[in-house]
Amino acid sequence: MHRLPTLLSGIFLVFLASWLGLVAYPALQLGRLTPVADADNGGTLPPVYGGQAIAGQRIYAMEGCISCHSQQVRQTSITSSDVERGWGVRPSVARDYLRDSTAFLGSRRLGQDLSNIGVRRPDAKWHFVHLYHPSAVCDGSLMPCFSDLFLVRKIQGQRSDEALDLTGADAPKEGYEVIPTVEAKNLVAYLLSLRHDYPLPEAPIKKTGPAK
Amino acid sequence: MNHDHHIHQHENGTEETNRPLSPWLVGAFMLSLCWGGFYLAFNSGGFRQDVYESNAVNWAGGGAQAAAPVDPKVVGKRLYTQNCVVCHQPTGMGVAGQFPPLVGSEYVLSQGNMGENHLVMLVLNGLQGHFMVKGQAYNNAMVPWKQLSDEQIADILTYIRSDWGNNAPAITPDFVTQIRKETAATTDSYTQEQLMAMPAIKPATVPGSSPVKK
Amino acid sequence: MIHATLPNQQKDSGLKPVDNRSIDASVRLPVIILFGNAVHWLVIASLLSLIVSIKLIAPGFLGGISFLNYGRLAPMARDLMLYGWATQAAMAAGIWLMARLCGCPLGGDKGDGLGGMLLRTLIISATILWNLAVLLGTLAIFAGYSTGVEWLEYPHWASSMLLLSFLLIGIWSILLFDRRRTGRAEVAQWYLVAAFCCFPWIYGTANLLLVWKPIQASAQGPIQSWYCGSLLALWLLPVALASVYALLPRLLDCNPNRRHLATLGFWMLLLIGGWNGMDRLIGGPVPAWMTSAGVVAGVLFLIPVFIISINLLGMPRNETIVSSNFPVRFFLMGLYALVLVGVIGALDSLPDFSGVVRFTAFTEAKAQLWILGAVSLPLFGVLYEALPQLLGRECWCSTLSGRHYIITLVGLGMLIALMLLGGLFTGIALTDPTVSFLNITSYSYPFHLMECVAQLLLLIAALILGVNITRSLAGDYLLNKQTGK
Repeated sequence: MHRLPTLLSGIFLVFLASWLGLVAYPALQLGRLTPVADADNGGTLPPVYGGQAIAGQRIYAMEGCISCHSQQVRQTSITSSDVERGWGVRPSVARDYLRDSTAFLGSRRLGQDLSNIGVRRPDAKWHFVHLYHPSAVCDGSLMPCFSDLFLVRKIQGQRSDEALDLTGADAPKEGYEVIPTVEAKNLVAYLLSLRHDYPLPEAPIKKTGPAK
Repeated sequence: MNHDHHIHQHENGTEETNRPLSPWLVGAFMLSLCWGGFYLAFNSGGFRQDVYESNAVNWAGGGAQAAAPVDPKVVGKRLYTQNCVVCHQPTGMGVAGQFPPLVGSEYVLSQGNMGENHLVMLVLNGLQGHFMVKGQAYNNAMVPWKQLSDEQIADILTYIRSDWGNNAPAITPDFVTQIRKETAATTDSYTQEQLMAMPAIKPATVPGSSPVKK
Repeated sequence: MIHATLPNQQKDSGLKPVDNRSIDASVRLPVIILFGNAVHWLVIASLLSLIVSIKLIAPGFLGGISFLNYGRLAPMARDLMLYGWATQAAMAAGIWLMARLCGCPLGGDKGDGLGGMLLRTLIISATILWNLAVLLGTLAIFAGYSTGVEWLEYPHWASSMLLLSFLLIGIWSILLFDRRRTGRAEVAQWYLVAAFCCFPWIYGTANLLLVWKPIQASAQGPIQSWYCGSLLALWLLPVALASVYALLPRLLDCNPNRRHLATLGFWMLLLIGGWNGMDRLIGGPVPAWMTSAGVVAGVLFLIPVFIISINLLGMPRNETIVSSNFPVRFFLMGLYALVLVGVIGALDSLPDFSGVVRFTAFTEAKAQLWILGAVSLPLFGVLYEALPQLLGRECWCSTLSGRHYIITLVGLGMLIALMLLGGLFTGIALTDPTVSFLNITSYSYPFHLMECVAQLLLLIAALILGVNITRSLAGDYLLNKQTGK
């Protein structure tokens, strides 16, 4: 153990064990998963993202949403609280992330889990108002305002259909409207596409269902 | 400030105590290692990728049912949505005057003097300049799709040859591999003249290969 | 203050170990650059951490400006702590210790010739490249080019610069070991060789598979967890332990460690450390065997931790030396932090307990204690020990050093205690689906409030260290000026 080659080969072999076990083998095992056929709707599972949602993933990464939000419903053998809380009808499995370019698993829940936010909050308008000023719709929320993703502009002619319905202190000045930018629309499209309410061979949906 | 006289020279290496390890310590560590081994053996679901519940017991007998093999057309549709719809549209009709249609296209269906090889070649290497599709003239460029795998290209082509009323035989990944090898030296996109200068190959029509059912 | 004298006296290569002065001269500039910049990044990282924790009690603080959002500042603070401070200080400590332990100046005997000059220029350029990469990577997160991969947020060009720079610096620790002029290798040297070999492999693999050429997302989870675990257990911790193994026995002037125990600890750490990160995915979207591997690794990590702490804390201690010597106190506190990390890690890997505390501040507390305690405290020790020797004079203001020590410990202890308690509290509340999430958020307010105070203390401590080191280095400059006259 006192000569470099001996020491290096020892270190190499021991290190190789964890590398093979946690990098190479998972890459082979999970990196080759394929989508499965959707018997009911004729597509594939997990479903394909739309173009806007793919662009929205970029916004999700750049704003660091992963710092506070996880995207995983834990296995019920470890804890049933995620399913009971209504964060998903079944635990997440690796195949669910096939359509992502980065798996935003997350390690902290300062905010709620988002793996099924598209099921829980299917309304785009709600998301826009929430992003613009979170505590306006969720009193006591820790989430910061993403008002930079919106544009305050003078109403020209008619009020835009896209304009946010804001009340109280958030409402823009008379004659002005708040509309979402392309980034906000992409982000919301991505959030709405986060839904894992379909069964997969390794993750069937149990009939007992969630509490909520 | 000089601190040399503070320095203690330590005669190291010679007087290291090599006391043997306490048997209790060794025993405890061996026990915990054994526990680790047993825990893994009983809670790892046979190291399968489709067992997620660590207390699942039925993994040895087949576990979760195996995933059904995926129809190439289904995968192809998914890939088409990701890569091709921007120009050729979800309907496969293209955009008049800009992007040629795939529906009924002689390129896609390998009709007339078109072969399957032409279709694969133009997808792999792209197409540029003037070209005619279904009697309409187009002047545009299609980018090369070399970055897709042979399997993906085969799936996309099989899909576009079978949807929207198209009904042509499937393209196999092996055929794409073969064409990719043959055209490996090509760097520029083809023009229609260059493409048509090559003899047509129609492997899908040889006896034994059945046409894809819609 | 007592200074430890490295290296050994035995020789087997026929070359006599070079005296410490020439060794120090050969590594002085790169090590001082690395240490100096590391401390400055530590100050900035602590400031960002404070802002981040204030944002948890007042979400509107510095609000409305997209690049000052929590989601951008939090990864910036974490990455600066990891790559700006810890990794950089570990490189500095590693190079200095390796040169001393091997009795060999950087670049061999031709240190004064043209070759030596080129070599020094190369290493100094590499240190500058490292800091440039950290700066640009941080600015990239700021500007919204984050990759969104936890702990690997730097864009691909910044991470490639970091890897290149590390290779240029790290290769020397291996070469120094190969050319050592002392006899039997010490345990500290093994740790250093292991750490410097592992980092490029860990960082390269993780970046390749997650950032440069991302693998299919279904397989990213385990690789990312492996990265977090390995970075701490196979790169930062081994360097911290090498410092303790090399310096503590010499500073305490007692017989060095029991060799059997040290050997066992070394191999166990290497064996289990690499699996240690999987506890981040217990119950996650990975097959059951990975969850189980995380459970086993988390619990078994106690083995190396116990062996190493029995080995190092079991040494006879002269309390007068301990009370008067800051490096020794930092080393001992670092070891206690390591024991705590092991215990928290084992607890938090037990499936039932993990189901409660995962995703809360509890698991975050372990990462913080690891980086700010088990790794940073020993690195502070090396810094306090190395700088006077490199400069050839006493340079620390002992009042400032004392304050730095006390405030760091109080701040860190407070932060960890609050996060553990707060995490446990929210974790238990989360298991009851009738308690709404917003309700839980409001319960954790007092914890977040006190965490701000703890972060403020840590910032003050970092500032004190910053002032102390600036003062030391500026003193050198003034001294040179005087003698120049």
